[in-house]
Amino acid sequence: MPTARSWTEWRDAVADLGHLLRFRAATVRRRRTTAVAGAVLLALTAGSAVVPAWVDRAPEEVDRVAGLLPAYLLALVALSVTTAVASGGGREVLARDAAAVHPVSPLTDHLGALVLAPLSAAWLLQTWFLLGAVALVVGPHPGRLAAAQSVALLWVACATACGQVVGWLGEWLRRGPRGVLVVRSLIGAVLLVVGAVGLLPDLRTGLVAGPARWTAEVLRGDGPAALAVVLLAPALAVLVVAGGYAARLAARRVPRDESRLESRSYPARPSAASDLAALVRTDRGSIWRSVPVRRGTVFLALAPGVVALAYPLTWNTLVILPGLVVSGCVLLFGVNVWALDGRGLLWRETLPVSPDVTLLARGWVLAELLLGAGLVTVVLGAVRAGLPAGAELVAVGAALVVVTGQALSGGLRWSMGSPYAVDLRSARATPAPPLVMVGYSTRLALATTATSLLLAAFAEAGRPDRVLVAAAVLLAWSAVRIAGVRRRWRDPVQRARVVATVTA
Amino acid sequence: MTGEEGPAVEVVGLRVEFGAVEAVAGVDLRVEAGHAVALLGRNGAGKSTTMRVLAGVVPPNGGLARVCGHDVLRDPIAVRRLVGYCPDVGGLVPRATPWEHLQLSARLRRLDHWEPRARDLLERFELADVAHRVTAGFSHGMSRRLSVLLAALHEPAVLLLDEPFDGVDPVGVEATMEIVDDARARGAAVLVSTHLRDLAVRACGEVTVLRGGARVATVPAAAMAGEEGARAYRALLD
Repeated sequence: MPTARSWTEWRDAVADLGHLLRFRAATVRRRRTTAVAGAVLLALTAGSAVVPAWVDRAPEEVDRVAGLLPAYLLALVALSVTTAVASGGGREVLARDAAAVHPVSPLTDHLGALVLAPLSAAWLLQTWFLLGAVALVVGPHPGRLAAAQSVALLWVACATACGQVVGWLGEWLRRGPRGVLVVRSLIGAVLLVVGAVGLLPDLRTGLVAGPARWTAEVLRGDGPAALAVVLLAPALAVLVVAGGYAARLAARRVPRDESRLESRSYPARPSAASDLAALVRTDRGSIWRSVPVRRGTVFLALAPGVVALAYPLTWNTLVILPGLVVSGCVLLFGVNVWALDGRGLLWRETLPVSPDVTLLARGWVLAELLLGAGLVTVVLGAVRAGLPAGAELVAVGAALVVVTGQALSGGLRWSMGSPYAVDLRSARATPAPPLVMVGYSTRLALATTATSLLLAAFAEAGRPDRVLVAAAVLLAWSAVRIAGVRRRWRDPVQRARVVATVTA
Repeated sequence: MTGEEGPAVEVVGLRVEFGAVEAVAGVDLRVEAGHAVALLGRNGAGKSTTMRVLAGVVPPNGGLARVCGHDVLRDPIAVRRLVGYCPDVGGLVPRATPWEHLQLSARLRRLDHWEPRARDLLERFELADVAHRVTAGFSHGMSRRLSVLLAALHEPAVLLLDEPFDGVDPVGVEATMEIVDDARARGAAVLVSTHLRDLAVRACGEVTVLRGGARVATVPAAAMAGEEGARAYRALLD
């Protein structure tokens, strides 16, 4: 291997990434808000790594959390891998069209995806959970805590880099001959393994008996932290380099699924029966013919349900799942919902139809997608959850409807208030800049989780009446906020601003 | 047509601001039924913004803009029924097919028996082979041709074509010229914005030159033809 050339390429890639990040930073709209958000994220990370060590801890609680450490470590790997595979190789620093005119190498692209990976609510929450759990287990011993958190952070970095390697390899396979079939078969096989692991305790133990269990022992203070650092640091370097080579492999192949979809034909259907039906049909096409949106929705609808099949959940825990799924789905495109039309929005705005009907159609297709994905998850989760109590069944149904309303309201409000011109063709594109997405996902997670916990608490108390009252109040609040969006959408000046931004 | 008296397009003292930027600063424009007017001018002269106001997409900050007697601010839906608009950028829903675009436009405009005309237009613009293919994979020229076709489907009283010749092959240019001629022949008003002076002169009977968001001249198209026309045009731009 020509090492000198490789070294030069990596050095250039790092330099180019710096240029791209500075370019992105220069285009940030609200600098002060962004700086505050960044500071808050850093403070939360530092807080989660330190504060739990100094809180009062019951020994049994420490033992319980210590026992969960291997699972936390594995969850980070699973999250990084699934995110990278689902997003076709991770996030892009510069949108594909904008990057096309610049000599951005696959190595730069790979490093950019690694740098942007932490800008995801799921990644941040999992990392904060891990750091918090380590701090809780280690306790108020600054030296040991610093060593353990160093190991934990190295594990997080390795998990992220590992996700990128798998993500790029998945993309390489997907772009190859019969790529979609190959990748789907592999995902099916992985799901079967996950299912088998859930059903067979021996396999479950075996899965966590590898590096995760050993690293967890180090984090608990039962192993040498220095040795872990010595092993994990080179592993990180190897994974980053391997990801670079995998990115190169993927870049040599054309993104088949996108090009195939962009040349696909659809037979003519009879004309729609009403204006609303015609617009709903067009919007549905925009959603379900989009590779990233379809892939993301199917993944989000099925993945938690499959895990629930493998590791049965109680009905009271099932109440939480719709919030997770619906929040994830609305983040695929729903927070910038007018960008679905791309520059076609300009033409659509010249069609003689009331803005109310346009908004209703867009809201309808978004709501049915969110509700459908949440329903699939609940049905899969219910298979092994046993027979529910009446209050539990009501709580799960209410949670599904209420979080759909909350996600719909949030998505429509953000789409109206902060539209962005984005090309949603690529699985790697996000409907808003990464840091904005972190803000959206955090707000959604807080709202839907708080709602779900409230409904679950009423269900546990055996009070379906309170579940229904709470659901009605929360739904009414979402309706009020959607009515606000309607008022703003009716204003031609505000609508023109959205159209001008999205079609820019 | 609506049967309204007066010009098909009437713009008086039109002003459009985007924040601190004044995109249109007092444009006056008048297009009679059965006439075609070309809008010429440098980038940022206000041509596309004026078109968007007339299409009902951008509300004006001041002045008057009427289409067949309908105020674009007060009666935007009526204006949209009367106008056929080919936007300067994109203008197509990426994951819908040309036929689905036509179907949606026909449905919302209450067109009956529109299919034969749609098929004829697709043939004329050589898009019949891709009528059921999603537009995301279309070339720039194909997208332009489809945008012109969509603007013409409902035989609008006012045809607004913004950069209809941009990146279009000779077949598409001829088909667009036919659309303009047909529209004029049936009494529609046509407004064409373009940077291609020769094609503007061919397509239209009159040329209006915009500069810095305002009209600087309206002259017969023949005055902008050939070398002499090029010199005259350049003089108006400086």
